[in-house]
Amino acid sequence: MVRLEGLSKRFGELEVLRGLDLDVRRGEVVCVIGPSGSGKSTLLRCVNLLEPAEEGRIFLEGEEITGGKHKQDYVCRRVGMVFQQFNLFPHKTALENVSLAPRKVLGRSRGEAEEKGRALLHRVGLADKIDEYPDRLSGGQQQRVAIARALAMEPRAMLFDEVTSALDPELVKEVLDAMRELADEGMTMLVVTHEMGFARDVADRVVFMDDGVIVEAGPPADVLEHPREERTSRFLGLVLEH
Amino acid sequence: MDVFIDQYFDLTIMRENLGLILDAFWETIQLAVIGAALALVWGLVLALIRLAPGRPAAPARALAIAYIDVMRGIPLLLVVLLISGSFPFLDFLPQWLRAPSFFGKLDIFWYGILALTLTYGAYFAEVYRAGIEAVPRGQTEASRSLGMNHRTNLRYVVVPQAVRKVIPPMLNDFIALMKDTSLIQVIGVVEVVRQGREIQAETFNSSALTLAAILFILVTIPLARIVDRQIARQQIRFQRG
Repeated sequence: MVRLEGLSKRFGELEVLRGLDLDVRRGEVVCVIGPSGSGKSTLLRCVNLLEPAEEGRIFLEGEEITGGKHKQDYVCRRVGMVFQQFNLFPHKTALENVSLAPRKVLGRSRGEAEEKGRALLHRVGLADKIDEYPDRLSGGQQQRVAIARALAMEPRAMLFDEVTSALDPELVKEVLDAMRELADEGMTMLVVTHEMGFARDVADRVVFMDDGVIVEAGPPADVLEHPREERTSRFLGLVLEH
Repeated sequence: MDVFIDQYFDLTIMRENLGLILDAFWETIQLAVIGAALALVWGLVLALIRLAPGRPAAPARALAIAYIDVMRGIPLLLVVLLISGSFPFLDFLPQWLRAPSFFGKLDIFWYGILALTLTYGAYFAEVYRAGIEAVPRGQTEASRSLGMNHRTNLRYVVVPQAVRKVIPPMLNDFIALMKDTSLIQVIGVVEVVRQGREIQAETFNSSALTLAAILFILVTIPLARIVDRQIARQQIRFQRG
């Protein structure tokens, strides 16, 4: 579904991604873990062209999306993204947040978009919050609205950029549960996360990144419990301590 | 002290000239409201041109920057005189533009409106730009990741938020504009300051001007309070997310 070949990205002098190769199959859940600065978020943001890649190629369902043939909105209509800071539109209600893009990008009618929006918000457990503005919602609720908003565009794949890192601990579970359900329904997901429990339970594959390269990748049981690389075990040692 | 009251608060003079002053104030209001409305639209256009992305838009951006710099750098009075002095002679312009008389208002009125629009459009453009740039980048990232293009993002996500943010500085600029309408008197428009000045000359007394001042304050202070309340309500809404 999503294939990265030799992906490289620099910010000025700093090489953030160094020749990455990754293949995410349809319906697969891939969790990307690693220390901050390893390039995990940048990787995600290159997939939907939020950041332009310097070198390398990215393929979405076999179509190359780097190289200028397709513009950013081609990709973004097919790949949804959920952000660490939620980024909900504060001047719109939950329902309006969810229905805006389908109406203005896909051209759906208001009735159609809102009906679909209501269903999605119900699915993430927020049926009673459809007319609330983001400032009246908890972090966990806002993030679930963000998930519904991304799903409203009917993406083929979803990108999650540390979506629980900004949440109070007691609100993390509700978001992870929503993501778990999505995974069970067969969504292709690329998840950057620090939640090792989630990675262990839900991921089909775990990828450990450090310093712009993939150090190790494999089934969660392998990478998380029997890492081959020293860097991996060092990182896991730090993370799993608490 | 009595002399002070006589000079500035002679109620008889105020009463006798109330009609004239109110008529002239109505002229002030029309200049201010129409001028501001057009300047708000023109300012937004300028700001969007200034912020247009991509290399092909560079000449347009440069023009917008030059325009804004120039119009913020020269006095409104100069602009008023530049327009009124020479427009009648610009024979490449159609007559209805050279000496406009829309809605029965004199051409000098419309020259004043044009001057206000061209000048304050530049000030508003910079306020809009600050507002647009103050909208967090995450908002644009979210819109783009939902497939919205630059224009859709601006229209439904960024500009609505920017406009709410810039209401206080806009209000300040509107009040400045309203006060600057008094400059249009030099080309013959009888707005409230001009009217007060004429009465002052006739009566050797400033009470009509005091009345004009009171009318200004009666408009600007409530406006400020209404906007304060709007801001407080919006503030809460933008706290989270």
